[in-house]
Amino acid sequence: MRVLGLYVERDTPVHKLAPFTKLMYAVTSTVVTFLFPSITVGILFLVLSVFLNTIARVLKHLIALLMVVSVLSISIFLIQGMFYVGNYTPLFSLLRLTFYKEGLLRAVVLVLRLFNMISAFGILMLTTRPSDLIDDLVRRGLSPNVGYVIASVLQIVPQMLSTATRIIDAQRSRGLEMNGSFHKRFKAFLALIGPLVLGSLLEARERALALEIRGFEARTKRTFLKDFSESKR
Amino acid sequence: MLRGKFTTAVLVLIPVAVGINYAGKFFAEALKLPLWLDSIGTILAAMLAGPVVGALSGAFNNIIYGLTAGPFSLVYALTSVGIGLSAGGLHRSKMFENMLRTILSGLIIALVATAISVPLNVVFWQGQTGNIWGDTLFAFLRSKGINVWIASFFDELIVDLIDKFLSVVVAFAIFRSLPKTLIYTFQRE
Amino acid sequence: MGSTEKIKIESLTYAYPFSDKNALENISFSIMPGECVGIIGRNGAGKSTLCLALTGLVPKFFKGRYSGKVLLDGEDVRQISYEKLVTKIGLVLQNPFSQITGARITVYEEVAFGLENLGIPRDEIKQRVEAVLKALDLWEKRDENPFELSGGQLQKLAIASVLVLQPEVLVLDEPTSQLDSGGTKEVFEIISQMKSQGITIVLVEHKYEMLVEYVDKIIFLQEGKMIAFDEAEKIFSLPEIDEYMVGEPIYTKLCKKLNSKNSRGYYPVKFSEAVGILREARCGSDR
Repeated sequence: MRVLGLYVERDTPVHKLAPFTKLMYAVTSTVVTFLFPSITVGILFLVLSVFLNTIARVLKHLIALLMVVSVLSISIFLIQGMFYVGNYTPLFSLLRLTFYKEGLLRAVVLVLRLFNMISAFGILMLTTRPSDLIDDLVRRGLSPNVGYVIASVLQIVPQMLSTATRIIDAQRSRGLEMNGSFHKRFKAFLALIGPLVLGSLLEARERALALEIRGFEARTKRTFLKDFSESKR
Repeated sequence: MLRGKFTTAVLVLIPVAVGINYAGKFFAEALKLPLWLDSIGTILAAMLAGPVVGALSGAFNNIIYGLTAGPFSLVYALTSVGIGLSAGGLHRSKMFENMLRTILSGLIIALVATAISVPLNVVFWQGQTGNIWGDTLFAFLRSKGINVWIASFFDELIVDLIDKFLSVVVAFAIFRSLPKTLIYTFQRE
Repeated sequence: MGSTEKIKIESLTYAYPFSDKNALENISFSIMPGECVGIIGRNGAGKSTLCLALTGLVPKFFKGRYSGKVLLDGEDVRQISYEKLVTKIGLVLQNPFSQITGARITVYEEVAFGLENLGIPRDEIKQRVEAVLKALDLWEKRDENPFELSGGQLQKLAIASVLVLQPEVLVLDEPTSQLDSGGTKEVFEIISQMKSQGITIVLVEHKYEMLVEYVDKIIFLQEGKMIAFDEAEKIFSLPEIDEYMVGEPIYTKLCKKLNSKNSRGYYPVKFSEAVGILREARCGSDR
């Protein structure tokens, strides 16, 4: 993974929408479903979000994202169905466990809310290049420093993870034992994370120097190289 | 966020702190440790540059999780902020001077993380954490009629206590071994 | 004012925080505009510290105990405004990876970064970026992600990112140490290009054979003190070179072993001269 992110390259109208618009949709959709915890509202927004995801031809990826919370969703049904405070009407029994109507309905609302949040943010994340999102936000007033931090995290983290892999190889070849008792493995953890931290902090210091040399702390009004409408110059 | 408030060194530190968080999780998985160990970077950033920077590292960490793996972790940004703030505050109060104090700090930070996560659990998913073991305990406690908040607290404690405590200990061990001039680079005046 | 030296250092003494030793002690020298000066010395001699002092990062970034002056065009480097300083002097470091900002996903944007910071108008940015990318043979790679580049190309990118700010002085701290011979050649070609454009260059470099072909003079440091500041052949003929085990170009070493000096009484440092001297030594049996 070269750059962190969920962006899927496609050429659809949803992809062409301004990142900020998509962000606002995600936030609004999430907030509304929280303010109005009704099944109707939940379904409405979910259908809308799924529809947008379909237009963007990223439905497959959205389903993958939803799968991540599948276990949680099932457990919500189980737990709410059985133990919700307002449980009154038993609906059915399974293996001596009673499931109530109120709890199951509540579970539906909760899971809809969860799915909604993921679908709405999915539109943003699956159809927007992270750098474009950051650019748009910085243009609208987000501090360029914050923009820098987010943008660099997305690239530096994969870099550090490949360094992490190299450290594992290097330490292994020096006889590091990665199996055995918890105690042994924990010591191995220290032997791996130590060099990684030292190396990345030293590199960070050099990067800070390089940034200073390139005017990072300048107080002049910065120029924005990219035009909103361009994704490639 | 005023430009003048943060030195370039600190702005560079935050992505590295997030990277260290990711690396911790990566190594823990590679070693099949039953822990997350994904807050070491946040704690280190707090020790190096203070509670605010620690808090920011934590916040950005979860924001990035949110951007790259789905909004589930986004919710817990507040917990990471709490870890950063408390680690930084404890460090400033000289609570990392020796092993004994560090152990105490580790417990405090684990409790802070738990305490912040519980209300988030309750508001967003009615008390659950999404962790199998924790949620099983949660279900068990709820079946005995135990209050949702208390049940969620124990659910969260299973997930967090050992993990955060060990993260603090690891961060302490690493911090001790760093060259002084390097530490000095990131200190906020 | 009115001094013609590009760089003038007066009695510079500096110690890093938490250190009892001086990293630099009583350093004084001048460099004229357009000169290309090398810095040699053992590890820990203060070469990198001197580079940082030239750009003002020592003491600005590192704090510590500082006395003496570093003057660029007669102005104390600590007094020059940040925006002006950044367009006056540039710095290229050893590790190509740590010089990428990490916040830009194409080579083009990476190079434009510094100009964006300074608020240069967009059209001028495009002009300058294109010019520098073409000059350094990176134009084809302009849409690639910096992290996909090889070490040599990354170092060229680092140089491009600094050159685009059009500095009058360029300081390079072991720019080729992590590169293979191909990458090294490319970097030195760029240095040669900059020389012909009149940029003042200060270069720390262990590849002495290449260094001597480009520099006018060399500063020889040992444990923070300046042992000598002179032409290459004079420097490498000093007894301290052997005493401190600094090393020298291999043909110089050869000539030292064979006791073959040139007409000025020094061991040759340049390849062509060494060949000539050794050929004479071989052909003429009595010297």
